[in-house]
Formats: sequence, structure tokens, C-alpha cells
Amino acid sequence: MRAETLKGHLDGILLAVLETGPRHGYAIMEALRVRSDGQVDLPTGTVYPALHRLERAGLIEANWSEASGRRRRVYQLTPAGHRALDTERSSWRDFSAAVSALLQPAAPAVSPS
Amino acid sequence: MTKPAEALPPAVEDYLAEVTARLPGSARVHADIVAELRAGLLDATDSHQCAGLSPAEAAQAAVLEFGDPGEIADGFKGEIAASHARRVAFALLLTGPLVGSLWIVSAATSHLAIRLAALWQWSATTAGIGVGIHLVAVAAMVTAWAALLGIAVTGRLTRWLPAKPSRAPIAAAVAGYGAVGADALGLVLLAAELTLAPGRLSPLPVAAAAVASLVRLLLASRAAHRCLALRASLA
Repeated sequence: MRAETLKGHLDGILLAVLETGPRHGYAIMEALRVRSDGQVDLPTGTVYPALHRLERAGLIEANWSEASGRRRRVYQLTPAGHRALDTERSSWRDFSAAVSALLQPAAPAVSPS
Repeated sequence: MTKPAEALPPAVEDYLAEVTARLPGSARVHADIVAELRAGLLDATDSHQCAGLSPAEAAQAAVLEFGDPGEIADGFKGEIAASHARRVAFALLLTGPLVGSLWIVSAATSHLAIRLAALWQWSATTAGIGVGIHLVAVAAMVTAWAALLGIAVTGRLTRWLPAKPSRAPIAAAVAGYGAVGADALGLVLLAAELTLAPGRLSPLPVAAAAVASLVRLLLASRAAHRCLALRASLA
């Protein structure tokens, strides 16, 4: 899936990945690939500015942690982030249900004659 | 940083240098961004090495995986502009009342004609200065509202507003130039008062207020200029 297809949903996807617990940037990217069965394969670098924006919006918070000599920024959901994720989920459900219904092959029309 | 940074594979080092070269602002501003990307690139390198690549191939694969350095830098430009704008707006909101109260103290400790006049009657104390004082008030209001707007659009409101990275630096620049206007005008009025009615002001508080205004004027003008430069750097 290309970045343009995901546009507008990246925030919700990042929040969903962080729902299971705190992660650093690269771990978020790996979880994204695993959870989407490799379907989502964004340039890893694009995730970092998006994380900073979510942090500024108060949806996630970041802390520096040092493990095996490497300083990483670890992100986790804030209460507001949890709420935003819930909203994102329900609006996605409504949207996808409506689009699925519309894309459903229509029942064959009775041929007029 | 407590420990010396890990040695970087050349591919990773070049990549980081390329991103950094495209970021606006000083090395101090970039430090955290670069540290975070460095850790990510090294994690990616490790992961490719675990998958069986040689160290050099793994570093190359990590760099490819991260994507176009220009794209990352573009993504961070908006963030750098927003956080600078936010800092400027906060600084202006905090220093405004401070400088303002220094001027009020100067007036309150000055000659009876000014000291006894109510705040809204100062304008009547020396002919011509009244209009100026009103203009200072207008400039101060512009500063305060623009700064509040700058803070609002760079904080929680980000969630609901459509992304428009140029908004915050423009609001902060308006606030900055508003402060420049208020302080410059205040100093001009002081000069006028000293010329038209010498000896009515008490020297020490007035000197303190004038210095504070001058410092704020210079800093605000630099900050506002930088906000405009950051805004221009946004693609």
C-alpha cells in the first residue's frame, strides 16, 4: 500500500500500533508491517515527523530511554490518544461499512422483456 | 548524552548528514531529531543484518528503507517551525505583562502629574502623547491575540485543524512584530516625554523599563524574522 492511499489514516494507524504498549520509532514501523501482513510498507522515515505531530497534539507522549548504548525515543498513548483512537475506529467502521455496501455487486436485475 | 555515540556505518552517516543539511535552524534544534533518526537507522541496520546481510549491505538497506532524505526533512520542517513559533508566542505572552508593569511602575513613581492621574488619563498628561499610548495598547493587543492564536494552533487544536504548517509561524511573526511596534512606540513616547516635559519622570524605574523594552524589541524582532524564514522554508 502506498503512502498516498494511507493518507488521512496514518494517525489512526500509528495510534493503534501504540495501543498495545510503548514503542520506539523503528519498533512502530516493524509492528506496522507485521500487523498489516506486509501490506503497509511506508518509507520508515516518514513515520518520525508524524509521531512528532501526534506528540504535539497531545495524543502520544515521548520519553528518551537508553538500552544497549542506544538512545531511543519511546512513544506511548495518552488518555486523549486512547479517546482519539476510539473515535477513529468507529468512524472507520461506519465509513467502511457504507463503502462495502456500495461496492457490493448488485443483485442481477430482472431483464425487462 | 552519557556515552560516546556508536560508530556509524558510512551509509547511515551520509544519510543523516543529508537530512540535517536540509533542516532549518541550528544544530541544537536538530540534535534530538538526529539522535532519534540515528537510533532508528541503527535498529534497521541490525534488523537487516539479522536477516543475513553483511554490515555494509545492511546499512545500505536501512537507508533505502528510510526513504528520500528530502521527504523526511520536509516532514520535520513543519514541526521545527511549529515548535519555534510556540516558544516565541509563549515568550511574548510572558514578557509582555512584565515590560508593561515596569512602565506602569515608572509612571507611578514619577511626578505627581502622572502619578496621580488614573491609567486611562495618562494620555492627557502631555499633549500628543495620548494618541501614542493608545497605539501602544493596540500593538500590545495584536501581540497578545496573535500569540494566543500561535499557541492554540500548535497545541491540542492540531488534532482538529486541517494541517497547515504555515499558520503557526505567521501568527508568531505577527505577535513578534506587534511587540516590536509596542516597544518601539513606547520608547519614542518616552523620548517625547523627556523632551516636552523634562524632569517629570523618576530616572531609575524609567531606565529599567526602557532597557527592558529595548531588549524585548531586539529579541522579538529577531524571533519574528526567524519565524518568517521558517515559514519561507516550508515547501
